Parts: sequence; C-alpha cells; structure tokens
Amino acid sequence: MEREDKKYSSERKYRNKDITVYWKPSACVHASYCYRELIEVFDPGRRPWVDMSGSTTSRIIEVVNMCPTEALSWKWNDDEKNKNIEIDQLNHVKFRRPELMNINESDQEENTVSVKILANGPIIIRGNFTFSYQGIKKEIYGGLISICRCGASDHMPFCDGRHRKIDFID
Amino acid sequence: MEEDKENKFGADVEVTDWGPLKITGDFRIKDLKRDTEDSPAEILLCLCGKSGIKPLCDESCKK
Repeated sequence: MEREDKKYSSERKYRNKDITVYWKPSACVHASYCYRELIEVFDPGRRPWVDMSGSTTSRIIEVVNMCPTEALSWKWNDDEKNKNIEIDQLNHVKFRRPELMNINESDQEENTVSVKILANGPIIIRGNFTFSYQGIKKEIYGGLISICRCGASDHMPFCDGRHRKIDFID
Repeated sequence: MEEDKENKFGADVEVTDWGPLKITGDFRIKDLKRDTEDSPAEILLCLCGKSGIKPLCDESCKK
C-alpha cells in the first residue's frame, strides 16, 4: 500500500520524566483511539498535538497501546527498564501485537474480517482481505486500513482525518 | 489452488468506480454509532458522505 512506502518517514518524539512517546504521522490511519480516550494528551486540534503533561505515565501508556498501527509507540527513558518490559506492555518498537489488540473482542473467528464503522469517522477494516481500488487489486494479509467516509479526504480512498475539520456527522 | 486462496482471504473489499465501498465474503460489520452488528454476505457502504441511510449507500452519489 501507499502508506507502507512512507513507513520510514520522519518520527516525532514527546517526553515526560518517565517515557518517550513516538509519533509516525505516515503510519496513522486515524482510527482515533488516542484522542477519544485521552484528549488531554492527544489533541489533534492543538500544536504540538501531544501534551505529555496532560495525564499520568501509566494512562498514557495504556492509550498508546490502543493504537492499532505503528503510528504511536513508547519507550521508557531509562533504557534498563526497556529490557525488563512486561510483554503486555509491549507495543513499542517494531512489534505489532494483533493478539493484544483483539483482546476485548468477540470476533475471534480466524478468517472473519472485521469492519468497524466509527461514529462520524472512517471505516476500519482489519484482517486478511483483498482490496481493490481503480482496477488494482491488492492482497492484504493481517492488515488494517482506514477508509474515508465523509468524502473530504485528500488521500482518497483513505481517511486523513479531515472528517473532524468538516464536522462530518453520520 | 483457488480454494486455498479463498481460505486465505476472508473478504473482498472494493472501492467501486461508481461510489460506495463494496464488501463481500466472510466479514463482520460493527457500527459503533448505532451500536449494531451484522454479518451479511454483501454490503455497500457510503463513501461520499451524502447518503440518507448511512452507513449504507443509497446511491446519492449517482445524483
């Protein structure tokens, strides 16, 4: 996918005394878990949009771990602690953990593709599926895409977060 | 071979040339706003933002 090509583009960092949160804009699919859960820290309308003083370290970790892509990740500032990190805290670095993402979900049937319509937001599709756009068909294995539903994205057919700016109500 | 392929990919997702998103196959759809859940064989989802029956397409995009 186009997004994959941009995977290694610039990453931004936000620190508090305990941890550093990493933000890769190109990996974001605007699933919006972060700001729905913790607007005090993750506020897309603010610059910079991450304010590490807005909540506690443990709560920030919890919400960063909800990020369904590699867009948000975190590390302890004390590198020694990164070595001893509990497996259930591991969202950071290159490990994606689909099994943890699905932890609260009932749809565990192996091959059933998950399609979620977010309120006033995009369609999030996850699993093994084929994706066709403008006559080109791609096979997506264990992937996640976010499809624009408001009609205003500059990155069609993918969501780029514009539904928020145009106040899309569905 | 064909069978293997079908097992590998649960569903087919297509942005149609004429408008909506068409999903067929083995999928479960959750609508978080209306709090509904369904597993139809096929669905057409509005992508233009103009449908009167969101999240479904009502062909407003054609008008």
